[in-house]
Amino acid sequence: MQKAGLLNRGEYVNVSPKSRRWARFGTLLYALVVRDITSRYRRSALGIWWAFLQPLILMLLFNMLRGFVNIPSDGIPYILFSFAGLVPWTFFTNAVAACGPSITTNAEVIKKIALPREVFPLASVAATLFDFFMSSIILAGMLIWFKIPVGIHLLWLPALIVLMTIISFSVGILLAGLGTFRKDFIFATPFLTQAWLFATPVIYPLSTVPEQWRSIYMLNPMVGVVEGFRNVLLKSAAPPSEAFLLSVLMTFVILAIAWPVFRKLSGYFADVL
Amino acid sequence: MSEDVVIKIEGLWKRYGLPLPEFVHTLSDLIRSKKTNSTYNGDRRPMALRDLNLEIRRGETVGIVGRNGAGKSTLLKILAGVTAPTRGRVEIHGRIFPMIELNAGLHMELTGRENVRLLAAVMGLSRQEIDAKLPDIEDFTELGEWFDKPVRMYSSGMLGRLGFGVAVNIESDVVLIDETFAVGDLKFQNKSLARVKEMRESGATILLVSHSLETLQFVAKRGILLEQGQLISSGTALEAINAYETLVFRSEQGRLEHRVRNRITTKEANIFGARLYAEDGSTLTEIQTGQPFGIEVDLRLNRLLEKPMFSLGILNAAGILCKWNISAEDGLMEPGTCNRYLVRAWYPENRLSNGAYEVHFAARDNASFETLERVAGILSFAVTGPGRARGIVSGKCQWEFILQDACSENSDSISD
Repeated sequence: MQKAGLLNRGEYVNVSPKSRRWARFGTLLYALVVRDITSRYRRSALGIWWAFLQPLILMLLFNMLRGFVNIPSDGIPYILFSFAGLVPWTFFTNAVAACGPSITTNAEVIKKIALPREVFPLASVAATLFDFFMSSIILAGMLIWFKIPVGIHLLWLPALIVLMTIISFSVGILLAGLGTFRKDFIFATPFLTQAWLFATPVIYPLSTVPEQWRSIYMLNPMVGVVEGFRNVLLKSAAPPSEAFLLSVLMTFVILAIAWPVFRKLSGYFADVL
Repeated sequence: MSEDVVIKIEGLWKRYGLPLPEFVHTLSDLIRSKKTNSTYNGDRRPMALRDLNLEIRRGETVGIVGRNGAGKSTLLKILAGVTAPTRGRVEIHGRIFPMIELNAGLHMELTGRENVRLLAAVMGLSRQEIDAKLPDIEDFTELGEWFDKPVRMYSSGMLGRLGFGVAVNIESDVVLIDETFAVGDLKFQNKSLARVKEMRESGATILLVSHSLETLQFVAKRGILLEQGQLISSGTALEAINAYETLVFRSEQGRLEHRVRNRITTKEANIFGARLYAEDGSTLTEIQTGQPFGIEVDLRLNRLLEKPMFSLGILNAAGILCKWNISAEDGLMEPGTCNRYLVRAWYPENRLSNGAYEVHFAARDNASFETLERVAGILSFAVTGPGRARGIVSGKCQWEFILQDACSENSDSISD
């Protein structure tokens, strides 16, 4: 028996057999991703082409910028250099931006049925992953056009993609959790990702960052990802080991903070939606 | 704990919103430059549920009644695991499935079929289960070709049918139902009710919130009454419904009491008070269905009244005049002098049906037709009791079902 003290917290226990919980979670995730992808481009004239257009437009913008400012690119054609960075970066920004309101847009479901709430930001990330693969097709086409030799290091790609997905999910659930209670976090997201872009070697190479700042700079987990993509795709090399390891470490630090916070907050989503 | 208890609630309290330490509230008050109430300690939001204790056994069907804001939906939400309890303990044995306003999770751009797959996944079905159920659901919703059209083209009834079609085809140990019977036409409602009955017979535990007391009475065997977050009555469904109606009538009575009094007064008479009394003369606050009662008005006449004429009207909560009596017509002819009197009207046959009532009283001079006093709402009272009398008048009714003409074999049913 519990005494109704001020610090006591309520307890909810469901002792039903949790048979095939993961299969159900998978089905739900799949259904949500299918819904997100199929409904996103319905009633838009360009449809799925938007998945290609977004990084392309950004690439063209940065190439115009390079016409005025001298940006080194480690001896790689700049158009390729910037696009190889923009593909994972666009994924990151879009995934984080999609996570933020994912709880609010699914309010009607969350208010009524108990689900692992992580499924909504996760579905947003997964749906963005679809766009990522679409733009990867263009990237592959460009690699062939520029006759860039790729080798065994391509095997790093799955690891990089998983890492990039986990980073986006971690940052995304933190924003989704906090943003459900205070919209300010969602309004702040574009500025956050904008600032983050300048702290990531997307339009410039890591080599331009002064040596003494580099160890702090590499605490940004996206550094290892973006540089990793470039090494693997354009330089036929493994990801820079220091940046990559720091990226993995920082990713788990962020996840270890973001997930418990999200869990704690998620019990009260239904109260404020 | 006994084997077949499926829901066990101990000392459950619920306050909406994220529980935060007090300093956060103080801080946010400072930011919004509100004056912090220093004597106040603790959270400032009200409790939606207060110290609720309840045990529900396997196969029980429980109707939850209560006025708006009594905490019915909050209770279902906590049981569903949608929102966390603030204090106390909730234990559930078995798969729980909330059938709460189902068309909510629908996505307008997707077709009915796509939405069914999505809803079924949301409700916890695996893909194999969805594939197996899809034909049943398609049949149940009766949407035909509309099933493959975008949901945004649907009428609201079709939307409801889609949601309900998924919900009733899911098997679960505990089913929570909140106001879902109102969807669709009569035929569909009957089908839904039949399905709920089927679930009941298959041994599912059902918790039901509905404003339709008829539905509750039909489906539920047990009933609980919530009022301001507290469980104030628990028993059979009929007992809970009666307790609920009594509660409503009493509150209506309270509202009638607070209504602005419309009074015409002269210096020729003073009214001191009025009361309701029983056969033994004791004061009543509430009348049982069919119980004889009297109305007594305490007044003083300040002049000689040769032909006094008193009138009493009894109005129900809707303002309909249910009873109207004039003393002179009923044979009261005595004159009055400058003295204090008790005017009494006895109603040996109480035909008022359950509900809240108010009394209008007037005193006139039948010689000059002058009104001395007229008070609208001099008294208010409630008639309560078992049985769900509807309408204005209560009383027995004897039914008969007479075979008129034996029909031939092949014309015994009216075709659809």
